[in-house]
Amino acid sequence: MSRDVIVQQILNGISLGGVYALEAVGFGIVFNILKFSNFSHGGVVTICAYFGFFISTRFIPSLWGSLAVTILFGGVIGILVEKLVFRPIRIQNKPLTYFFVNSITVAMIVQQFFSALWGSNYYPFPAFIKETVFQLGKLVVSKSYLLMLSMSAAVLIALSLFLRRTKTGIAIRAASSDIHTPALMGVNTDFIVSITFCIAGILAGVTGFFLGMTYTVTPFIGSMILKGIIASIIGGMGSLGGGVIAGVLLGAMESLLIAEVGASITPIIIYFAIIILLMVRPQGIAGKLYSVKA
Amino acid sequence: MLEVKNLIVKYGGITAIQGISLSIPRRQIVAMVGANGAGKSTTINAISGMVRKTSGDIVYEGKSLPTRPHEVSRMGIVQVPEGRKIFPTISVEENLILGAYVVKDPLVLKQNLERVYSLFPVLKARRRQGGGTLSGGEQQMLAFGRALMSNPNILLLDEPSLGLAPKLIIEIFQFIEKLKQEGLTILLVEQNATKALSIADYAYVLETGRIVAEGSGKELLANPIIRKAYLGCLDDPE
Repeated sequence: MSRDVIVQQILNGISLGGVYALEAVGFGIVFNILKFSNFSHGGVVTICAYFGFFISTRFIPSLWGSLAVTILFGGVIGILVEKLVFRPIRIQNKPLTYFFVNSITVAMIVQQFFSALWGSNYYPFPAFIKETVFQLGKLVVSKSYLLMLSMSAAVLIALSLFLRRTKTGIAIRAASSDIHTPALMGVNTDFIVSITFCIAGILAGVTGFFLGMTYTVTPFIGSMILKGIIASIIGGMGSLGGGVIAGVLLGAMESLLIAEVGASITPIIIYFAIIILLMVRPQGIAGKLYSVKA
Repeated sequence: MLEVKNLIVKYGGITAIQGISLSIPRRQIVAMVGANGAGKSTTINAISGMVRKTSGDIVYEGKSLPTRPHEVSRMGIVQVPEGRKIFPTISVEENLILGAYVVKDPLVLKQNLERVYSLFPVLKARRRQGGGTLSGGEQQMLAFGRALMSNPNILLLDEPSLGLAPKLIIEIFQFIEKLKQEGLTILLVEQNATKALSIADYAYVLETGRIVAEGSGKELLANPIIRKAYLGCLDDPE
């Protein structure tokens, strides 16, 4: 394999890795404050992918318009899922297993719902970008990949600024180590949880839109967040930055391996690598060891 | 200023607080002393809204206190929790900024931050460090600083001297007296009963969820029965 092909593959992989990073952060931010693995995130991604498809094909043909509306929609869905599914059990102080089971249930309901309704068809997003590639020396850069990469980066930078520069962001970070005590400072815990799910929903909106654009929309598109969940774990639970790094690395490694050894062996190599990595470094790249997990 | 009337708290079938009434007058230090499990922390947490009260009333300036913790702290009744509960993963300065969560005016926030830094210069020196990197004494300063960031009216102090070196304990109690002189009203829960009574204007002795004695700090310190049963002193009052 020539050097150019390798660079090309890494470039593509990094773009895909940007989406994994979004998934990792969307999954990780809820884990951070409520300490459960939120598989419903995949469900919200699926809902957003379908929403993005319908909005862009029927109502708002422009890329930026339909993306923006999908992002807002994702935020609202995130808030609704928290209010309807997780708040009732949180108020009753139920164990983490309840959250875990509910989150899987939401993912399954969404998958089955879309399978029953529109499962027999594939829905391709409209071609937003006319010329799909441009030449950069010997490299061929896909415009939609470049768009995904720059948008993922922009969203993650905006989120990072929000978490560092605003009081609400600081409260979310404080709640990651102790969700009860911020109330003593006048922080409304319910609001913080709601905002966190809203952020996860916004990230799901971007993820769903980009996955829909790259592949086609199917009821199983949400299960693609498995890569993001893996990135979040490799990155280190509790470290959003670690998740981003792991997401990008995972994407690059995956593309490279697919080009080198083929698509069927790649997942086997990657999953083995993950098992070995976590044996050597169970806290992940940047994380701390967590004992509470569900 | 703050009145607790007939407070009862039950959880899991156990009655932790069996009808307590307290009166905390403006600009005074009121102490609650008693052994582990007497219900001191539960009382403070019931006032803060961190535990749900079963019955009874908590009245602040003539009005019943809200029951949710963030609403209580927004009334200016701020708890410094047992074990400090510093947020370890955010910086010292962010811990303080979070203390001013309800302060809308950024200028006021800045002033309060400067005031806390002048009270505790070590916090300024460590302001970029993670809260979890501080020593126990520094964490207690940060806990006080965080509580003062919102300009509270009443401070609820839950075991502020716990786990500190003797020299620091003396400083902490001097600091509490200084806060009183600056106009704060203080409810102080302490296992270090002798120290707490020596600075308290009024004090309550708790045992298994009931008040068994009350009086001015001096009276209780001078009472031989109290000294023997609750202060662990066998000698005569000095």
